[in-house]
Amino acid sequence: MSLSRSEVSRRRRPRWRVRTVLPLLLGLALLIWIMLPLVPVLLWSAAGAWRAPDVLPSSWTADAALSLAEPEVLMAGVRSLGLGLSVAVTATVLGGLAAFGLRGPTPGGSPASTRLIGFVMLTPLAVPPFALVMGSNVLLLGARAPSFLGVLIVLTVTALPYTTYMFVTALASYEDRFEAVARTLGASPAQVVLKVRLGLLMPAIARAGFLAFLVGWSDYITTVLIGGGQFITLPLLLGSAASSTGGEQLTAALSLAMIVPPVVLLILLARRGARGRTSS
Amino acid sequence: MIRHTSRTPRLRRLGPLAGAGVATLLLTSCASGSSGSSAETQEFEDFDAVLEAAEGQTVDLWMYGGDEQGNAYVDEHLAPAAEELGVTLRRVPVTDTADALNRVLDERQAGREDGSVDLVWVNGPTFSTGQQAEAWRCGWTEMLPNMALTHPQDPLLTDDFGTPVDGCESPWHKAQFTYFYNSETVEEPPSTLPELLDWAGENPGRFTYPGPPDFTGSVFLREVMISQAGGAEEIPLQYSEENFEEFAPAAIQTLEELAPSLWREGSTYPRDEQALNELFTDGEVDYGMTYGPARLTELLDSGALPESTRVLPLEEGTVGNASFLAIPVNAADTAGAMAVANLALSPEQQALKANPDVWGQFTVLDLTRLDSADQTQFEELPSSPVVPSYEELSENAHSELDFDWVPALDEAWRESVGRG
Amino acid sequence: MLTAAPAVILVLLVLGAALIMVGLQSLGLMPVFGEPQLSLNAWADSTSLLESAGVSVYIATLSTVLSAGLGLLIAVYALTAGRGGRLVAAVSAATIPIPHLVASGAIGLLLADAGFLARLFGMPEGFPQLVATQWWTAVILEFAWKESAFVALVILGSISRSAMALSETASTLGASAWQRFCHVILPLARLPLVVSGLVVFVYTLGSYESPWLLGPLAPEPLSVRAVRLFGSTQLSARPEAMATALTSVVIAVLAIAVGLLLVRRSGDRS
Repeated sequence: MSLSRSEVSRRRRPRWRVRTVLPLLLGLALLIWIMLPLVPVLLWSAAGAWRAPDVLPSSWTADAALSLAEPEVLMAGVRSLGLGLSVAVTATVLGGLAAFGLRGPTPGGSPASTRLIGFVMLTPLAVPPFALVMGSNVLLLGARAPSFLGVLIVLTVTALPYTTYMFVTALASYEDRFEAVARTLGASPAQVVLKVRLGLLMPAIARAGFLAFLVGWSDYITTVLIGGGQFITLPLLLGSAASSTGGEQLTAALSLAMIVPPVVLLILLARRGARGRTSS
Repeated sequence: MIRHTSRTPRLRRLGPLAGAGVATLLLTSCASGSSGSSAETQEFEDFDAVLEAAEGQTVDLWMYGGDEQGNAYVDEHLAPAAEELGVTLRRVPVTDTADALNRVLDERQAGREDGSVDLVWVNGPTFSTGQQAEAWRCGWTEMLPNMALTHPQDPLLTDDFGTPVDGCESPWHKAQFTYFYNSETVEEPPSTLPELLDWAGENPGRFTYPGPPDFTGSVFLREVMISQAGGAEEIPLQYSEENFEEFAPAAIQTLEELAPSLWREGSTYPRDEQALNELFTDGEVDYGMTYGPARLTELLDSGALPESTRVLPLEEGTVGNASFLAIPVNAADTAGAMAVANLALSPEQQALKANPDVWGQFTVLDLTRLDSADQTQFEELPSSPVVPSYEELSENAHSELDFDWVPALDEAWRESVGRG
Repeated sequence: MLTAAPAVILVLLVLGAALIMVGLQSLGLMPVFGEPQLSLNAWADSTSLLESAGVSVYIATLSTVLSAGLGLLIAVYALTAGRGGRLVAAVSAATIPIPHLVASGAIGLLLADAGFLARLFGMPEGFPQLVATQWWTAVILEFAWKESAFVALVILGSISRSAMALSETASTLGASAWQRFCHVILPLARLPLVVSGLVVFVYTLGSYESPWLLGPLAPEPLSVRAVRLFGSTQLSARPEAMATALTSVVIAVLAIAVGLLLVRRSGDRS
């Protein structure tokens, strides 16, 4: 904000300087802010020995990176992926439906009840994962729910506020006219939903699904307590590596293993999004 | 809320889900009342019956997962040996042993008798709490043939932090609380705990300890109390409020007075042993401490601790204990767990585990009870370049105080010194 | 309205049941061992509960303000700075997948006394202490780092289409950059900013990893207190853990209620 203000005060100067230098500096500062914390992680993942006050590691090794290829780690990765995708599907579908329900004035629904439902959908945010797990664990154990199902149910509830509100904000700027136009052009209701609605909401679906995926992908406390330690995912391996002395290298490598797949997924989604936009 | 939903017929489809919710609510409210009566479900005639029942079982061993050598030992040595007995051994890594106990307690609260925890690497506080809650299976260790190789009166094996073991856990290895220092920065290392505290006072910012209730920090706090009282024999092992009032204040006061000379002027403390090790490795402090000296060999080897790290023997000795394997009362694979516990006590496994290149954990066996071939296995073990032998480390050792001392002291520390 | 039913039922069922369990345990009615007995002991240590609540609210408030400000900055930059803006938006979005556990570790490696930043500057004497300080500096920075990307993502996701188009129109009508920010982007961004700010507030309020790894030992925020008491080897500590967790829930529910009022208002205005 202050930068923009100084931009205004300097408007009398030659325009090109303000226009090119300031945004460039601001962009650079933002990039540094975003990237800097990742630098030590990257360095540690390939470091042999690295002691203060050395700025860079004194030796390098690929040991930590290679240990990621061990079957134990790969299996954990597959489980994390499965959990993430399952949470993504359930939470996105339920959240999308909830957002539609919250939106329109439906027969029999008053604004007050809409507001109440909106509030209910936000409440999982208010319950820290720890409290949610502690409360539901005994119930799930008692119900003999398989541990994967238990973790999935709890994480879906955790992810629902995110997916719901991704759709709510997207629907806020959603133009019903497109659907009306499609209908007047003779589209069937099914076509309207499939082609127009899903098409227009694709970015929101992708974003909601992605956030929900992350809830499952990165969860630690729910998986450990409800999964009973037998459902070993990447965060569990990371947690145990992080709690050991001299585990920096492995911790850093596992950290990267947790960061890279969703980033790749993100890039794929962004690409598809971009293609969708240009073709429309 | 459930009655609400049944109003609309459309929601019928969700009926089973809602039904499950109600059922579990009822189930658990009943179960919580009955959790006191633990089912001694399976009893065995003799150990052969155990081995027979164990075949084909999968044993989940819950243990602290932050010790890579320990993990490797279980995966590469103990599990293959268990396989020969027809038992699949699965290691479940946890960041804190209390997680395993909490799992057991939750399962019992939910009325589950087919528990997912079969075996836990445990000692001290976690064992005592489990005993209070009647969470451990008892009276099974005398069935293990290899128990005969331990000394029946070994005080470290009969009491665990003042709680009688009573056959509720089978010994696994011994440990000795050990201090270490950086020989590059400390020229004349102190030789008693009071001297160490004096050193800390004279060298501001170069010493600290993990903040209780962290396990290691909590041990250090008790060691200071014992030292202030003039030795282990001065303090009654048994906890009482009078005993606490007599001995605790001196320790708290000493540490309070020392605080301004500590790292960060005592405004905060490292979270745990690992955080202290990081400070030590980064050269911010000159001393470290651990209840797992066995690991020092590997930590120096891998460069996780500097090469100039040396063990600091104290004249008055330090505290020692043993750690154990316990079986929860509701374990699903009890027989398999017993078979593994017996296997872990065998001379082969104990000797293997004592090898510093494997794990370096001190044996619980009484070597005089072994036959000569087994004795040689222990005699031929390579010695560690860093860690002295158990005999040397445990010289003048004292045993742990009663478990009840632990939370009382920790809380007193948190309320005074810990507030910075 | 009906399409919302499955999600609402799931949330009510799971949350309701979990909270009942937590409540019962905090009152001693569901002991892990022994006879149930109604007791308010877990709530008796109200000074320490209130202190923890204060710390939690302090961390959450500062983290929210910083995240919202930085997130808005990133979003505005992404919308207005052409190719550079798209790069910043992409890199910022790429940090979203980083779990808080990983991010806290990374911030620790960066900001510790002998961390990467201190090493970069040659370990000067006066390098500020950031980790485990009484001001929770590193904790708040970690939240600000992670959550500003989230705020930016939400803003961009909900307004990028309309903002681009309106901004272009305003530009052709001769609006300056500042005018476009004030009269086009800010009004559009208000709703997603309030919503995401609310999410950040309640998330940071209940978050455990960062204050545990990067905060001082005492005083503790509610999350750290709850987890410590829950993991305690004293059976009597469990009700206290549950009481602490419930306190956190109550504060967060209040925050959401206030936040929803704000959302309604900003919704009415735009």
